[in-house]
Amino acid sequence: MNITFPHFIELLLITGIIIAIGIPLFGKLPNTRPFSKIDPVEEEFKHLLVRKEELLLSLKELEVDLQADKISIEDSDALRSKIEGEAIAILERIDELKKNIKKHGRSASKNFLLA
Amino acid sequence: MNDIGEFTLMIALATSLYGTVAYVMAARGNRIDLYLSADKVPLITWACIMISSIALWKAFFTNDFSLQYVYAYSNIELDYFYKFSSFWGGQKGSLLFWALILTSYMMVVHIQNRSKNLIVVPYAMAVMLAITCFFLFLLNFSTNPFERIPLPPEDGRGLNPLLQNYWMVIHPPTLYLGYVGFTVPFAFAMAALISKNLDDAWIRLTRKWTVVSWFFLCMGNLFGASWAYVELGWGGYWAWDPVENAAFMPLIVATAYLHSVMIQEKKDMMKVWNMSLILLTFVMTIFGTFITRSGLIQSVHTFDEATLGYYFLGLLFFIIAVCTALIISRLPLLKSKNELDSFLSREAGFLFNNLLLLGIAFATFWGTIFPIISEAIRGVKITVGPPFYNQVNVPIGLALLALIGIGPIIAWRKATWSNLKKNFLKPLMFALIGGAILFPVVPLSNRSEIYTYIAFILCIFVLSSMLIEFYKGTMARYASSETYLGALGSLIWNNKRRYGGYTVHIGVVMIYAGIAASSSYGIHTEKRLKIGETIEIRDYMLRYEKLAAIQATSVKTRIIAQLAVEKDGKKIWTARPEKEFYKGQNQPVSEVDVRSTLASDLYVILADFSEDESATIKVYHNPMVKWLWTGGWIIALGTMVCAWPDRLEQRRRLERLKLQKIVFSPAQE
Repeated sequence: MNITFPHFIELLLITGIIIAIGIPLFGKLPNTRPFSKIDPVEEEFKHLLVRKEELLLSLKELEVDLQADKISIEDSDALRSKIEGEAIAILERIDELKKNIKKHGRSASKNFLLA
Repeated sequence: MNDIGEFTLMIALATSLYGTVAYVMAARGNRIDLYLSADKVPLITWACIMISSIALWKAFFTNDFSLQYVYAYSNIELDYFYKFSSFWGGQKGSLLFWALILTSYMMVVHIQNRSKNLIVVPYAMAVMLAITCFFLFLLNFSTNPFERIPLPPEDGRGLNPLLQNYWMVIHPPTLYLGYVGFTVPFAFAMAALISKNLDDAWIRLTRKWTVVSWFFLCMGNLFGASWAYVELGWGGYWAWDPVENAAFMPLIVATAYLHSVMIQEKKDMMKVWNMSLILLTFVMTIFGTFITRSGLIQSVHTFDEATLGYYFLGLLFFIIAVCTALIISRLPLLKSKNELDSFLSREAGFLFNNLLLLGIAFATFWGTIFPIISEAIRGVKITVGPPFYNQVNVPIGLALLALIGIGPIIAWRKATWSNLKKNFLKPLMFALIGGAILFPVVPLSNRSEIYTYIAFILCIFVLSSMLIEFYKGTMARYASSETYLGALGSLIWNNKRRYGGYTVHIGVVMIYAGIAASSSYGIHTEKRLKIGETIEIRDYMLRYEKLAAIQATSVKTRIIAQLAVEKDGKKIWTARPEKEFYKGQNQPVSEVDVRSTLASDLYVILADFSEDESATIKVYHNPMVKWLWTGGWIIALGTMVCAWPDRLEQRRRLERLKLQKIVFSPAQE
């Protein structure tokens, strides 16, 4: 059987691919886990940080709207107190989570969530 | 090279199959070895498909007619520019092109998320690789672009003359960039569902992908309309052809998604709705592909060898079934904690906008599939033409236009009477004054003209509300800036999403105005002319000067009519419409000549000619068509602003991660 140039290239390609995807499978790797388990408390904390950020952005936007005379002072005050109320609730929950984690560590997070 | 191209297609299929399985196993078993191994697959698959693509392009450029695909879509005389685009001129090459774009996107996603180690990433990569597998399966076993001809002919059949147009070089890749782009948010949505990681992280990860894909889809539709306008020679740009609809529907659903996703980000609501919308967008892109490749519908846009219907139908049903099952099983996790504060708020406006957009999408979908259903059930082929679409979509479209104007000026959460009065008064006043000025000028003799009049009033309302937004924002910033331009610049720079979005809306308004005017006030006339005779339309007089024949290439002959165009007795332009005859093609191709201004287009067609040099000339006067294309470029500008990297947002994200790390660091254990 004659080995032509394309065949040689194909052989090279397939060898290269097998080596590339095979090395991690057969090489020595540290025994680490690439993905940590989803921790509900950590997820809630992450989510609350995003919500807090969104509320702060809303407050900033409200300020811009007030400056641009898009909204009356009364309306702006009413909306601000509503957003601030939500933000305070979120900040309180964040603090609560932080305190509990400081006190009991991450392992207590599940119990805390249930409580 | 053909052998290598065919071989790498097979290798790409094998590696992407491996990658799909390995990524899922790595995520489920939390195995680093499998993850690192699977992580090589995106690059390998992309490289293999790139090699296949280069092989096919090389075959086109070297006139290798031993490949059936090159024989069918090229010939020796074909311009290099079109040899390049012949790659996607037929079904086989276009599928390879799809796979190339998909794997290129996958590479970018892979690089973007390599060090993030989020659980959704391997699942998203697995979904993208699984979709790649589907296309590679078709390319290897059903529609191979490297299929050989045992006895290669000396020359090819050539590219369809209708496709030998510069818009046809740009339009398909742009559309594909949009179509394929939605695979990324879809894959992340699926990944979020599979991994039960259902906060809005996947939305933030794919926000830019959605905006960019939407932009390409939008421009793809516009470029397609441009091609139809200059190449098909019927004086219009949109005919509600099923294939046009197939590209239009995902755009509409994606627009709904783009808006509703903002409510989820802002108020943590509508999770199920957003999830459904992105899945529906992707389903619509596959449906569009099904329409063009199933052979069910005959259109200038479908592929000649459309034989892949069952495969795409199978994929469609599979995706719908899996997505529905996943959404239902994750319903408790997708429940929103918040509710709408008021129906008189911007959130509610977005909700209504979504309903209207879905109404348009559904009406278009129904009009597209009804002839297929009718033929399948009753054996009667029914054509659903523009009157149906116009009757349903125009009123909904007008309501949507009003909402574009209302959205930015109504308050988030809850609008009050004072808010409405403050922000609505001026735009409403401008709209009413505009309406009063236009009233004696525009004709109002039929329903279409009345709709157009309403559209103009609404366009003025929206445009003035947008411009007032820019004005108010600039004036508020002017206090801290030296110049008005500086204030405007910093306003846009610091609120890219908001003002980029407004810019896109200005582009949309221009498109609305262009469509309304050109579809209602367009007129046309036709006359058989001898040399020296004239034809008149509106204020223009066209004098037929001569007819010339030019042998452009050995396969193409051009017959050109020359007409001097006069306005108020003064010559303003020379029109040169032509007919092109291609060797081996039965039908000649019309090449229209257009004089385009913002006010109107003068569109001249050489419909027919005879040996005595008399010719039938058709002239269209289409008002404001240029507004459509200009609106497109404004949309491009707005999208660029929206998609521009936001340093503040990056900083906020990093701060969040830092805080998270401090609180959840192992030292806490």
